[in-house]
Formats: sequence, C-alpha cells, structure tokens
Amino acid sequence: MKQLAFWLRPERCVGCRNCQLACKNEHRTAARINWRRVQEGEDNDRRYFISLACNHCRNPECFRVCPEKAYWKRRDGVVLHLPRRCQGCQACVRACPYQAPRYNPETRKAEKCDFCHKRLDQGLPPACVAACPTGALGIVAWSEDLGEAPYAGWPGFLPDPALTRPSLQFTREKRGRHFLQQG
Amino acid sequence: MAYQLSRRSFLKGLAAGGALTALTAYGGLKMAPTAAGVADGYPEAAAGARVFRNVCPRNCYDTCSMLSYVKDGILRKVSGDPANTFTNGRLCVKGYTYTRRVYSPDRLKYPMKQDKRGSGRWQRISWDEALDIIARKILDIKKQYGSTLPVCLNKYSGNFDILHYGIEGMMSSIGYTTRALGTPCWPAGIDAQTYDFGTLWNNDPEDLVNSRYIILWGVNPAWTSVHSMRFLYAAREKGAKLVVIDPVVTQTASKADLYLQIKPATDGALALGMARHILDNGWVDQEYLKANAVGWEEFFAYLRREVTLDWASKVTGIPAGVIADLAREYATTKPAAIWIGYGLQRHTNGGQNVRAIDALAAITGNVGKSGGGALYGHLETWGFNYAAMTMPKPAGALGVKKPDGTMSDRFININNFGAELLNVKDPPVKMLWIACRNPLSQDPEPQVVQKAFENMDLVVTVDHFLTRTAAWSDIVLPATTQFEEYGVNASYWHYWVGINEQAIEPYFEAKNDVQIAMLLSAKLNALEPGSCTYPTGGSLEELVGKEFNQKMLDLLGIADYRELKQGPRKAKLLTAAWSDGKFRTPSGKIEIKSSEAPKYGLPALPVYVPEKQAPPEYPYRFITPHWRHGLHSQFQNIDWMMNVSPEPFVEIHPATAAAKGIRDGDWVKIYNEIGYLTLKARITATTAPEILVAYEAWYKDLDYNLNYTVKAVPSDMGKKATGNRGLAFHDNFVNIEKVR
Repeated sequence: MKQLAFWLRPERCVGCRNCQLACKNEHRTAARINWRRVQEGEDNDRRYFISLACNHCRNPECFRVCPEKAYWKRRDGVVLHLPRRCQGCQACVRACPYQAPRYNPETRKAEKCDFCHKRLDQGLPPACVAACPTGALGIVAWSEDLGEAPYAGWPGFLPDPALTRPSLQFTREKRGRHFLQQG
Repeated sequence: MAYQLSRRSFLKGLAAGGALTALTAYGGLKMAPTAAGVADGYPEAAAGARVFRNVCPRNCYDTCSMLSYVKDGILRKVSGDPANTFTNGRLCVKGYTYTRRVYSPDRLKYPMKQDKRGSGRWQRISWDEALDIIARKILDIKKQYGSTLPVCLNKYSGNFDILHYGIEGMMSSIGYTTRALGTPCWPAGIDAQTYDFGTLWNNDPEDLVNSRYIILWGVNPAWTSVHSMRFLYAAREKGAKLVVIDPVVTQTASKADLYLQIKPATDGALALGMARHILDNGWVDQEYLKANAVGWEEFFAYLRREVTLDWASKVTGIPAGVIADLAREYATTKPAAIWIGYGLQRHTNGGQNVRAIDALAAITGNVGKSGGGALYGHLETWGFNYAAMTMPKPAGALGVKKPDGTMSDRFININNFGAELLNVKDPPVKMLWIACRNPLSQDPEPQVVQKAFENMDLVVTVDHFLTRTAAWSDIVLPATTQFEEYGVNASYWHYWVGINEQAIEPYFEAKNDVQIAMLLSAKLNALEPGSCTYPTGGSLEELVGKEFNQKMLDLLGIADYRELKQGPRKAKLLTAAWSDGKFRTPSGKIEIKSSEAPKYGLPALPVYVPEKQAPPEYPYRFITPHWRHGLHSQFQNIDWMMNVSPEPFVEIHPATAAAKGIRDGDWVKIYNEIGYLTLKARITATTAPEILVAYEAWYKDLDYNLNYTVKAVPSDMGKKATGNRGLAFHDNFVNIEKVR
C-alpha cells in the first residue's frame, strides 16, 4: 500500500511559517484554528522549528476512536474527516497524540488537515509544501511498509511513533560552527 | 507517480533507503504561466474563479509577484506568481494573510471625523464632507499665511506602488508645501555606496547561486527576504560556504556554516582587519584595482599604519585567528559575495562601516563579477516617469525663495519629524497630511511627534486601519489595498517589475490615493477656481500607462505596458552590477578614496570611526530589528497573525537575566531618559549579554511601541543621495528591571 507522508528537513527550516499561513489561506480556517502549526524550540544558541500537521498515520487513532465513523483513509494513505458524520464528541481531539484534530466551537465539529486532497487530485502539492521557500517541508510517497526506517531521525520530544505509526519523516543535516561573544 | 511534480526536485538517496519517492515543490514546481481571467492552481474553481496579477507593494526586498483568485467579486485566496523566478510562486507569512487584511473587520470603511483628537469619538462622514473640511482648511491657510507652506506632507513606504507618488503630486498641485524629506531605513548605506561606486546597484540576487563564498553581513533574509534563502541554499548545495556576521544569532545565523557574533557597530573594524590580513598575504587583486579603482594606495597605507588583526579582534570581540581565517577564505574563494544588510548601517558610524566592506570587496576584485559583489540594494528598475507625482503649481503659488530666485517646497527632516515640526516657523505648519506612513508608531521619539500634533489645526491620515497615527488625527480616509486598484511595482533588490491589476471592487468607501487627489482637486476648484492643478479624471490603469517611458519599456523588453498583464518582466540589466566597469563616481572608478565624502564632512578613506558606547546609566544596547510577522507597523495586527504571535517580548541573554533576577515570562521594564515600555521577558542565548532585542510591530489592542525609547540620533550618512542623514536606530541604550 502506498502511503503519502510529510517530509521535514529541520536544518533547512527558518521558521518563516509560510506553511502555517498558506494552509489558512487555502482552507480559510478560523483565526484560532491551525491545521498546521510551526513549533519553536531552542538548542543552545540556535532556534529550531518543527512544522506539524496531521500525520495521516498508518494506524490513525482518530479513525479508531471515532464513534460516528467520521474518518476514513484513502488508498494513498490520506486520512480524511467527514464533517457531515461528525457529532463533535471530541474523542479524536483527545485521542490524537499529535493534537491534529481541532474542535471548532462555531461548527461544533472537529476538523483537521486533509493533505489538500483536492490539490493532490489536480497534481498539485499541498498548499503548505507549495509555499515552503527553503525545501524544509516536502512530501514523500512511501511505496511499501518501511517498518521503523522512516523514523530514524525522529526527534525525542515528539510522541513515540510506535503508537500510531505517523506518516512523517525527518532528515537531519549537518550544522555550522558558531563563534559567540564571551559574556 | 500520481502527482505531476517537477522531476528537477526528485531527490534520491534518502536516509530510509531507495524505496521512497520524494515529492517536493522546492526548486520550482512547473506551472504554465497564468493569464488573467483563467483559473489555475485553484481546485474549487472549476467554478469560475478569476485570476488577477498583483504585486505586494510593501517596503520589502522581495516585492512578490502575486496571483489573486476572485469569485463572486470576493478575494478568496492569494498565491505567489510562478512567472517571477525570484519569488518563485511563493509569498511570505505576511503575504498569505492578505485575504484577512482585505476583509479585516478592523479595516476603515468610511471617512471619519474625530470630535477631539485622541478622544476616540469618531463620526462617520461622507467623502464630500471630508473633502470640504480639508479643502476649506487649505484655502483658509493660504489666505492667512499667503502660501500653502503650512500644509505638510509625511508620506513614505507603506505602499511603494509608483502611482502612490500621486500623493506628492497632489501636494504640488495646490502650491508649495512643507515636505518630510529623507528615508529612515537605509540612507547611510546608500550614501556609502554612492561615494564608492557612484550609486547603489546590487547583482541580481538570483545570481547568488554562482557564489562560492557568501557573507551575510547584518542581514536576516530568513525573516526579511525569505525568497533569497532559496538562492543561498542552492549556492551552498553547489559547495558555497555561508557565513553570517551579526550581533544577534538570527534565524539566518542559525543556518550558517559559520556564524560570527560581532560587537554591534564594529563591522568596519572587522572589514579593515580582514583587509589588512589580505594585504599582508598578497591576496589583493592588483590588476582589478589598477583598472577600476582610485585611492587604494592611500587605503593600504592607512591599513599598514593603523590596522592590525589584534586591534580588529579587540574592537569586534572576534578572535584574531577567526578573522584571519575569514579573510583568507573570502579573498581566495572566488567569486565571493557580501550581502550588506540595512541593520549594520543604522549606527552613528554605519555608512563608514559599509564603506569599509565595499573596500574589502573592491581590493579582492569581487566587484563586477557574477557570484561576487557588495550587495546592498538598487534603484535601476525605478526609472518611471513619476507622472502622477509631477504636477504644475497653481498660478501665483509662493514657496521658499532659493538663492537663484526660483521657489521651492520647504523640506524638513523625516528622521526628526516631531522636533522639526515644532521648530519650523514663518510660517508654522498647521495642517498635516499623512499617507503610507504611521509616524506615531514608527518614528523615533513618537512622544515628540504627538506633541507637535498639538499645534496642528487639522491632521488628515489615509490608511487601511485606525493606526496609532490615524487614532490621533482629526480626519481619517479609508485607503484601498493593492487588490482594489491599478499600479506598477519594482523591487530594490530583485530585477522584476510587475503590474498590479484591480481584482476586486474597493472595500466599502475606500479610495486610492490618486483618486483622493482627484476628488480634492475638484473640491478645491469648486470653492476657488484655479486653486489646484491636479486632474479630476482618468482611470488608474491609464495613469499606470503614463508611468512608462521608452527606456523602461526597453529595459523590460516590451513594447507596451499592457504586456505586463501576461506576467511580470525581469529587467535586462547586467547580471553582475558594475561588470561594465562604468562606475558613476566623479572619477568613473571605484573611489576607495572618495572625492565626494569630504564635501559632506566625512573621511575620504573608509577609515574606522569608533562605535557609539553605552553610557554607564544605560548599559544595554536595545536593538529593534524587523519582525518576522510584520513589516514595520503592518500585518501583525491581522487576526491570523495575532493568533501566531499574540504578544511582544524582549530577548534577554541568560547571563543578563540572572544578574537582574529575571526569569522567562517575567514582566520587565525597559527604560532610558526619554521613555519606557513594559513587556514580557524571553530568556535566550540568541542574543549577547549586553544586548536586548525586541521587534518593532503594531499589535492589535496592545499598547506596545518600542520607539518610545528610541532617540532621533542621526547616522553618519544619507545627506548626499536622500536629502537627510539616516537614523542610528541600533545605537539606542537602555536599562532594564523586573516589574515588581
């Protein structure tokens, strides 16, 4: 089975948040609801960023817990949420280790990243990927079950990928030298 | 593969092995150029969205070519225009908020009048009533003072579309007026490059991919020119080394192969130390200097006499061995480019420091080379007619008498606006027109500007939002965004020029600056025939056409401006600036010893002028750079942006925080003798112990203005090319304490 996955190269990411805002521009989400979020951290004197959305997991917990069967997984691995079935119980919101589904108090339903499936079907990359100016965010097609291999660069602060087998891959690159003022 | 993506970006050899297919849009998704009126890249739009070409007109290196998607008369979405190979089909984090900016509930919809300035008691009025009040005030002033000199314009960079120079035209069309002259942003560096090369002219930034060594000196493109990152990374992939020199570990610095944390404002000492080491080791390009430069012998004599690596190390705080390595790598890895940022020239010695860096590029023969250069900015694609700006004076208009008997407008310094407004006499300024500008937020000493407002009979502000300045005005007029008007835009960094099409109808009663000028002209002439020469009719698109001359058309390789509706064009300039060796200095060469600088009281050579030191009572330098989520006072107030970054903060080094007993998240007060601000502390090793960093921005509903602490201290240069010296924004010293 094919599985589409997001692909992060954090050493290229400058934290510009193009991806996060391009997602809003595409999907017109409410101001406080972000299907994609850029998280910021600091490692000694360097800022780093991780851009996260729904990981379209191989074993999606949202899919498992939803009592209304409002989630389905496409043949390309994309996990979609069906708002017309959603009763807003928020079981998925509580269950997802990556906090991908968000509850919208106005629609009283959950919502999440749909991998821009309408764009995919037109041969276009997701809006976030199309907006990335540095190549830090891409997509990969996992053409077979790769086991643990895609999780080689997995950062320790994210939930264990063994839980839901997220479709998210990290590639780490070398970093430069810093000479700081002696303070 | 099911997805038709560029094969150029097909990446192999991923960590997890060959069973992966990488699909990334990086490097250029191949899309057919989009003609206006055709929907593309918009899945929903089977359903008839129209696509228009726009340009983001803000004061920005990248000046993005945009596409706007309109359905049922509503702007649904924006994207980058892939026809522009610099912005490459992408916008920035700010640009992606445009739909929310256009339809923000906070946008000004109607002309409004305020009961008492600053009271917040606003009343909706009609355009006719607003213009009537304004026109009568202008005519009253003319009667009382015998001229329109008491009318003052403060307009600058809120919208750099060429038609917006119609505001200046409107002022000219009523008579001689008072003008805020200069530029706050970059004049010291402009003058430095003018002394050295004759003007500022950077290589095509797309040419950075040809560099083998790149020094990003006091510039943070990750935040302020995000599209440039692609070219920097591409150069690195081809083997170039990326060096960042900055007092702050910026986001760009975090990505560098080598980062040097320099003491602020000592960049000249670093450049000179490098130059001395290059000279001592025989890495000077003598051939290039002999053919293209003057004054280098005297420069070398100065280096031998007064500059050593140890001295440079002491001044800059960078180890001598590191400076030597940097000098060797820069001089021997060719071509090597230096991108000189605007941050490093916002000092009392800023222009002088730029001159030292220019000299470094010259002596290594890196000027005029593809992949080389001392890149600062350029105005080579700005040769429009400025027809909207060029208006005759009405008959009998009186101005300031010049020695030759002719008359002119009266100019005051935009960089000391408040104090100059208070001081100007005979006649005083009584009416202010503010457009594309927010001085009560962005000027140094905004408290002085506010004080100067007290002397005004009438303050008119044209804007999208009730900014700090608009809130302190008598009348506000709602302005259109670029999606609601025609225009044409150039960049001061890349070489592209694009037309901006009207995509949607104006928001409520918003009007373009030129349309406002036309209406005001009609009103003035109705009240007093012949009092205003501004035309009262004509479409904005026609006016765009009038901005083009044959030279501009040739530069863009078009016969008619309408061809730009098929896509932006890249100017046919030399890829490497100055590769023709025709420098525009008086000598026609690079003037390492400048013939012009002494006329402005400056050293002829790029000698080191010591940096400004902190006074004992205010030991911390308060650096206030551009913000990732805003451009000056624009964008951060939009709800999508408030969601991303809800509140400002000051960055404090852990050592300083420990010494002051400040923990992360504490409220702190930053103060000096002219003002203070209170905000949250963020403890981070990305700044230096003696530096506090906060970012200039206008947050919705928050009383945050770091310029309350910033004095109107001039930088060393700017007088020659821009009329007034720049501002030493980063020579601002404060103290800090925890708020108990």
